[in-house]
Amino acid sequence: MARMKFLCDADRCIECNACVTACKNEHDVPWGINRRRVVTINDGKPGERSVSMACMHCTDAPCAAVCPVDCFYTTTDAVVLHSKDLCIGCGYCFYACPFGAPQYPRTGNFGSRGKMDKCTFCAGGPEADSTEVEYAKYGANRLAEGKLPLCAEMCSTKSLLAGDGEIIAAIYKERVTQRGYGSGAWGWQTAYQEPITV
Amino acid sequence: MHDKQRTAINRRNFLRAFSGASTVAVATAAATFTPSEALAYDPGEEETGPRYQETDHVKAFYRVNGYETLDK
Repeated sequence: MARMKFLCDADRCIECNACVTACKNEHDVPWGINRRRVVTINDGKPGERSVSMACMHCTDAPCAAVCPVDCFYTTTDAVVLHSKDLCIGCGYCFYACPFGAPQYPRTGNFGSRGKMDKCTFCAGGPEADSTEVEYAKYGANRLAEGKLPLCAEMCSTKSLLAGDGEIIAAIYKERVTQRGYGSGAWGWQTAYQEPITV
Repeated sequence: MHDKQRTAINRRNFLRAFSGASTVAVATAAATFTPSEALAYDPGEEETGPRYQETDHVKAFYRVNGYETLDK
């Protein structure tokens, strides 16, 4: 069974934020919520790196582990989804997530920030597929339409990969083999003082 | 001064009576309450089932993202 994964090839990301815009547009995500964002390290300096981040759909998701109402579930495709009907907006998942994926419509304390919202891997939610109710709560269900997340599909530099983990891992492996490992590994030149060619 | 003391005593009596009543209420509730095991949300097999399909659309995505040498 295929396991859905995201993989951002940081060597190719140019911080265009098209993935962020595509996500917001596709799912009609309200102001204040970013299901995906681009993080840039050493911005404006030589060697800066950008990486597109969203929910990574962890195998052993810490958000699900801390949720007091157990509103998270994992699909057969290994996509971590949640029920907004059960969510109480406590914010525990936000503190537990190492990627800062959970988002809330309002700022506030326990329970006043609204239902949590996060990347669904374009797989909707617990409601029936591709219905208005599902779209209003969770956004489009592209996976059910035989497509992949729009953020990855429209990445102009082919930096963001999404899909079957084994296939995108093979694609990334091939890229590293072709271009050399030194350029792709953060800290390699610092540690070994010279790039390595494969 | 005398009135203040009387007020304090009355309040203590009230709190004693209240704590006694609440203890009885908690004991009654505990005796009748049967704890159930916490269960994770399960929307059913239909909603957790596989959605991913390797359609031509998806295959095209894999093809254009890989180098030409990638054997697919």
